Amino acid sequence: MTQHTKEEVLLQATDVQLTFDRSILRDINFCIRNITRPGVLQGQVVTLIGRSGIGKTQLFKILSGLQSPTSGQVTINNNKPVKAGDMGVIFQNYYLFEWRTVHQSLMLAAKKNKALFGREKQTIEQYAEQFQLTGHLNLYPQQLSGGQRQRVSIMQQLLKGSNFILLDEPFSGLDVCMLDKAVEMLLQVSLSDELKTLIIVSHDIENSVAISDTVYILGNEPGKEGATIKKEIDLIERDLAWQKHIKQERRFMETIEEIKACL
Amino acid sequence: MKKIFQPFATVNKQTVMTMVAVQVVITLLLWHTMSAGLIPKPAKVASAFVQLLGSKLLLDNILVSLLLTLKAMLYSILITLLFAYLSVLPFFRSVALFIVKCRYLTLTGLIFIFTLLTKDGSELKLSLLVFGIVPFFVTSFLSVIVNINPQEYELCKTLGYNNWQTLYEVIIIGKADQVFEILRQNFAISWLMITMVEGLSMSEGGIGTLLIKYNKYNDLTNVLALQLVIFVIGLCFDYLLGTMRHWLFPYSKLKEVKAS
Repeated sequence: MTQHTKEEVLLQATDVQLTFDRSILRDINFCIRNITRPGVLQGQVVTLIGRSGIGKTQLFKILSGLQSPTSGQVTINNNKPVKAGDMGVIFQNYYLFEWRTVHQSLMLAAKKNKALFGREKQTIEQYAEQFQLTGHLNLYPQQLSGGQRQRVSIMQQLLKGSNFILLDEPFSGLDVCMLDKAVEMLLQVSLSDELKTLIIVSHDIENSVAISDTVYILGNEPGKEGATIKKEIDLIERDLAWQKHIKQERRFMETIEEIKACL
Repeated sequence: MKKIFQPFATVNKQTVMTMVAVQVVITLLLWHTMSAGLIPKPAKVASAFVQLLGSKLLLDNILVSLLLTLKAMLYSILITLLFAYLSVLPFFRSVALFIVKCRYLTLTGLIFIFTLLTKDGSELKLSLLVFGIVPFFVTSFLSVIVNINPQEYELCKTLGYNNWQTLYEVIIIGKADQVFEILRQNFAISWLMITMVEGLSMSEGGIGTLLIKYNKYNDLTNVLALQLVIFVIGLCFDYLLGTMRHWLFPYSKLKEVKAS
């Protein structure tokens, strides 16, 4: 097992319930801790897996502060209840303001980050180079491909400066080539800061698990209405985290089968 | 050829042009063969149209009408924007909704009240036009606001915007291009009202006045020629507003290309 320490709590979901005309989510409890590795700058990557229609997007909205739970709460940074704007949020279809150029969109986010005050333009240029978007800064979202939109969305939320980045189905609709690039990009983001925490909400088990350190499985329990966290899998303990070619390993495949059986 | 009768088929520009030309020719032929007696033939209307275009009378009257319409549209859009933006505040929502319902009020029934409220004929015409146009503008703009993609609001929230900043970004900035689209779509309404309003105070002239005069003397050839002028001006404005929208807001063109 890779040497690591789990330190302070970064995010805590306590007894989260969501009910509309019926129970959607119930008893959601989980906690994300700061994981440190000696000599490595490493953030956290957590995946919430569940079948389509189970309530993943609702949980995503609760975690991002866009939706208030019926009861319970999600707290971040020393027990502060999460509110909209605290988290970087990347929607499934990488929504961007259609009336803003890429540069303008990024500037809107950079202006919200006090740490970047006075350096917004340079930082945008740096990020654009890193994400291979330098030549696209003056384009409108309609002129971008799906992959480029995704990168702009991620850049926008990174520039905002939040340590938490929530991603809703980041791999859906991407072709094989783009998928690898997306995975690489997410890893790059997670390695950019010790406290950077990526929360991926997805039904794409293989790709999500391959880059995560922890997996939470969202599902229904017999006789109970509403989805809950059925299982937590610590991929570090299983020595499946932080390994580039893990997808080819037999034990990885076994874990995937275990997750599938749990859904 | 078969394609033009197939549902959702896309045809190239050249085919569209040919198709339209054929349709125009058929219409003119039908008009020519079926018109008898009182209804003037197309050639006669065309000659009156050319004659009208060369006359100072038409130019003067067009300028009067255009000036009045543009003034009315400017005031109307300012009033519309004010009420549409305010409509997101619960206190003003009912006012905006009431304005929408004012579409069902007839101008004819309000002429007397407006005459009492205004100083002269020019003011009367302008206020009647504004009163007639605003409900249509507000209806269009409110439907734009209602149909805003919820993700636009959500993105604002995730960027940490408060409600005022969201209003500015999503509705004021984000829907600025729609103002031109509303103007374009509703120009026809103001153009439609101008003939009625100009009939109220004929001393200043205008296309409406000219039309009423020709109607009065049963000069149907000139009535139709004038209708043609009104139609062409309408088309020009439609094109002009569309072009201005695309020039000022380049993304609006991209949206349309993608949608088509």
